[in-house]
Amino acid sequence: MRSGSKAMRSISAGPVLVAVIVCAVVVTTLVRIEDQKLLVVELAAIVIATLLAMKFGIADKVETSARHHPWIGRASIIVATLAVLSVLREDTFGLLMLATVLLYVTTCIGVTIQMGYAGLTNFSAAAFVGTGAYTAALLDARHLLPDPLILLSGGLVAVAIGSLLLLPVLRTRGHYAALITLAFGVMFNVFLDASDSLGGPQGLKVGGINLLGWDFSNDLHLFGYEFSFYVNYVLLASVVASLAMVLAAILDKSWIGIWLDAVRLDETTSAVFGLNIGRWKILAFTIGNFLAGISGAIYAKMAGFIAPNNFTLSDSLIIVSIVILGGIGNRWGVPPAALIVILLPEKLQFIQEYRLLLYAALVIGILVARPGGFLERRTRRFDLATT
Amino acid sequence: MSTLAQHLLNGLMQGTIYGIVAMGFTIFFGVMNVIKFSHGDVLALGAFGSLSAVLSLQPLGLPPALQLLAAFAAAILLSGAIGALIARTLIMPLREAPPLNMLLMTMMVGTVLREGIRLFYPGGTNPQRYPELLPHGGFSVANVFVRYDGLILVFAGIASIALVHWVITRTRLGLAIRAVAEDSEVAQTMGIDFAKIIPVTFALGSLTAGFAGVLFGLYYSEINYGMGLLLAIIGFSAAIVGGLGNIWGAILGGYLFAGLQTLVVAAIPSLSDYKNVVAFVVVIMLMTWRPTGLLGEGESARV
Amino acid sequence: MTGILLECRGLTMRFGGVLALDGLDFTVNAGEVLGLIGPNGSGKTTFFNVVSGIYRLNAGTIHLEDSDITHSSPGSISAQGLARTFQRSRLNLSLTVFDNVVLGAYRQVHSGLWHNIVRRRAFHDEARRVASEARDLLAVFNVALADRLFDTADSLGMIDRRRVEICRALIGHPKLVLLDEPSAGMTIDETDAVMDEILGIRKAFGDLSVVIVEHEMGLIQRVTDRCAVLNYGKKIAEGPYREVSQDPVVRTAYLGHT
Repeated sequence: MRSGSKAMRSISAGPVLVAVIVCAVVVTTLVRIEDQKLLVVELAAIVIATLLAMKFGIADKVETSARHHPWIGRASIIVATLAVLSVLREDTFGLLMLATVLLYVTTCIGVTIQMGYAGLTNFSAAAFVGTGAYTAALLDARHLLPDPLILLSGGLVAVAIGSLLLLPVLRTRGHYAALITLAFGVMFNVFLDASDSLGGPQGLKVGGINLLGWDFSNDLHLFGYEFSFYVNYVLLASVVASLAMVLAAILDKSWIGIWLDAVRLDETTSAVFGLNIGRWKILAFTIGNFLAGISGAIYAKMAGFIAPNNFTLSDSLIIVSIVILGGIGNRWGVPPAALIVILLPEKLQFIQEYRLLLYAALVIGILVARPGGFLERRTRRFDLATT
Repeated sequence: MSTLAQHLLNGLMQGTIYGIVAMGFTIFFGVMNVIKFSHGDVLALGAFGSLSAVLSLQPLGLPPALQLLAAFAAAILLSGAIGALIARTLIMPLREAPPLNMLLMTMMVGTVLREGIRLFYPGGTNPQRYPELLPHGGFSVANVFVRYDGLILVFAGIASIALVHWVITRTRLGLAIRAVAEDSEVAQTMGIDFAKIIPVTFALGSLTAGFAGVLFGLYYSEINYGMGLLLAIIGFSAAIVGGLGNIWGAILGGYLFAGLQTLVVAAIPSLSDYKNVVAFVVVIMLMTWRPTGLLGEGESARV
Repeated sequence: MTGILLECRGLTMRFGGVLALDGLDFTVNAGEVLGLIGPNGSGKTTFFNVVSGIYRLNAGTIHLEDSDITHSSPGSISAQGLARTFQRSRLNLSLTVFDNVVLGAYRQVHSGLWHNIVRRRAFHDEARRVASEARDLLAVFNVALADRLFDTADSLGMIDRRRVEICRALIGHPKLVLLDEPSAGMTIDETDAVMDEILGIRKAFGDLSVVIVEHEMGLIQRVTDRCAVLNYGKKIAEGPYREVSQDPVVRTAYLGHT
C-alpha cells in the first residue's frame, strides 16, 4: 500500500531544518537591515528563491519532511525563535514590529477559520481587534482583574459583540454578511470617535502586562546579556500565535473541519444530510473573533496607547489581504504574508505612503491570476494507519 | 421652522444621491449577480475629475453655465469610462469565480481608486473646495427659506433617476439589459451581445454615479477622497433593503436611509454623530426581517 | 420485511402557474425496489425534492413509517432514515472522497469541540472506523474505487462520482434511498455495471428500500420489483414493468399519439 511504502523509504529531516534556518535568517535580516538598496536586493533574492522553490516543488519536500519528523520540526522552530530573539535582543523597534506581526498572525488565523474554512465574509476583523484592545484598556484602568484575565476578557468581549451580528450574518447570502460586517466596522469607528468615555479620537493609555509576577516592562538580563523588555511581548505573541496555528491545524483535521468545508462549499446539500448550518457558522465566527480580541488586548498593553484610527476599515482590509495573499484557507501562508504586509512598509520607507494602494493592487492581481493565493490550501488527508 | 426645512432639503438631497448610488448597485447586481463595491469610488473619481476640469478651465473665465457643463461632462465621461473598463477587464473575466472573490476584488478596485485620488491628486489627502457654480440666493415660502441651488440639485438628481429608469424600461437598450438580467443565456441565444451589453450597462450605472458626484460637490461645496466609501456602504444597504435587482427598491432604500438620518438629526440633535449608526441598525433590522428586500428582489435574483 | 415504508397522499405542488404535482398518491413498501418513470416534466424530481424536504408542499401528506414528515426539514427527514442522490452531481469536488462520503455519516459521528480538539485518540479511532466503513461501501461498487478514498473528488470520472454519491447516501444506514437518474450520461455498458452494483447493494443491505427515477427502461426492467408512471404530476399507471410498458395510457403519454 502506498502510505506504507513511503514510510519505508527514509525521509530526511534535512529539508525542514534547512527551511527553518532560512526563514530565521530571512526574518532577522529583514528586521536588521536599514539600507534601502540592500533591502530591495534581499527582497528580489527572496522573490527569485520563492519562484524557484515553487518550480522545483521544494514546498512539498519540506512539507513531507516536516510530516515525518514533526517533533524535530517543532523543536527547530522553537530554537530558531529563541536564536532570532537573541540576535535582535536590543533592537526595540524590530522587536515591536515582530510582536505586531505575530499578533496579526493570530488575528489572521482567526479570519482564516472564518473565511477560509467556513466561507464567512468578515470585513470588520479590525473592529474585533479593537474591541479586545479597548476592553483591555478599560479593565486595566480600573485595575479590576489580573492581566491574564484581562487578555482573556479581550477575547470574550469580542465574542460577545460578535454575537450581536450573528443573526444577520447567518443569512444565506454571502453579501449580507459582507455588508453587515462592513457596516459594523464603520459604525464601530463612528462610535469610538464620538464616545468621550472611551477616549474619543484621542484614544486611551494602557498599562503594560504583568503575568503573575513577570513584569513585561522590565528588561531581561540573561547569560550576561541585556534583552530589551519587548522580548517579553514577542515571546507572549509567539506563544499565542503558535496556539492559534495549532488550533487551526487541529480543527482542520477533524470532523469540524469537514463540516466547515461542507458549509462553505454547498449549504443546501449539507443541510439535506442533517448539518446544522447555523451552528458551524457560529462556531467559526466565534473562534475567529476570540482570536482577534485576544490579539487586540495584547496589542493594547504592548503599545501602551490605542486610538480609534488603529482599527479602521483599511486595517480590516489589510487583514483580509493577508489572508488572501497567503492562500485562503492555508494557515502556513499567513505568517509570510503577514511579515510581508506588515514589515515591509515599515522598512521600505519609500513605499509606506503607497502601501494600501499596493496591497489592493496585489490582491486584485492574485484574485485574477492565482485565486488560491501563494500557498494553495492543502487537501485534507487523514493519517489513518489501516488495519 | 427654517431649520426643519433645511433638514428636509438635506434629507432630500442625500436621499437622491443615495438613490442614484443604490440604483447602480442594483442594476449591476441584476445584470451580473455582482456587488460592484468600487461604485462609490467611481463616483468620487467623477467628482474629482469634474473638479480638475473646472479648475483647469478657470483661466478662460467662462460663464458658470459652461463650467457646469464641463464639470458634468468630465464626471460623466470619466466615471462611465472607468466603470465600463472595470467591467470589461476585471468583472467579466471573473464571473465564474466564487462571489466572495468578486466582492473582494471590487472592494480592492475601490481601494485602488480611492488611494489613487489621495496620492495623485494634488493635496488629495485633504478635502477639496468645490466651486459654487449654481445661482446663489433663494426665495421665501411661508416663512421658510429655500435655496435655489438646493432645489436645482434635487430636481437634477431626480431627473437623472427618472432618465435611467426611462432608459431601462422604454428603450431597446434597456430591454436588452433587462433580458440579460433575467436570463443571460437565453438573452444571448436571442442575439443580444453579452460582451457589449455588460460594459454598456456598467457605463450607464457609473456615469450616473459621476453625475451624482458633481451634485455632491455642488451641494456640499467640498469633496474628499474618502467620500465614495461611505456612499458605497449606504448605497449597497439601500439596494439590499429595497430588494436587490429592483430599481424602485433601490430608490426607496436611498430615501429611507436619508429619512432615518434626517429623523435622528432633526429629532435628537445630540445624537447627530450617531445618525449613521442609527440608520444602519434600522436597515440591518429590516434586512433581517425581510431578507429579499422591502419591495422584493428583481426577477433576476436566483436562489 | 413487510409493511408500508413511505405513504404519500394527495401531494400537490405549484410553481407560479405550473402544477408540478397534482394530487399524487404514492406508496413504497418495505424492502422493494420501485421504479419511477414518466416523460420529462412529469414531476419525478419535484416528487423527490418534496419527499426529502427541500420543497414545501401546497397540499398533501407524507408519512415515513409512522412518522409524519410533511413539514419536516431536510435534516430531520434524513435523520429518520431517508437518503437521496441528485440529478446533477453535488459533490464537493475540491475535497477528498472520504470528506464527501462522511457527510452522509454526520449523525453517526461525534462533532463536539471536546471530542474533536482534545480527545484526539478517540477522534482517530472514530475516523478509522468510518473510513473502514466507507471503504467497504465503495468496494461493493469497485475495489479500485475503495483505494481512492483520499483522492480528491474532482480526480474521479463521472461514473465514480455517481458511485461516491450513492455511498454518501448509504453510509448513514437509511431505510429508504431515492436515486435520481443514477445512469444519466452513461453508456449502456456503464449503466449495466451500475445496475449490477445497485443489486449488489440490495444484497449487502437486505432491508433497504429503493426508489429509482430513470429514463433507461432496460435498467428499470432489470432491477425493479414494480414501477409507477407519472405524467403531469399524476400517477397514470402502476405495476410490474412488463405490465406497465404495455399499458396504452402509458404509451400515449410517452409517444403522444392516441
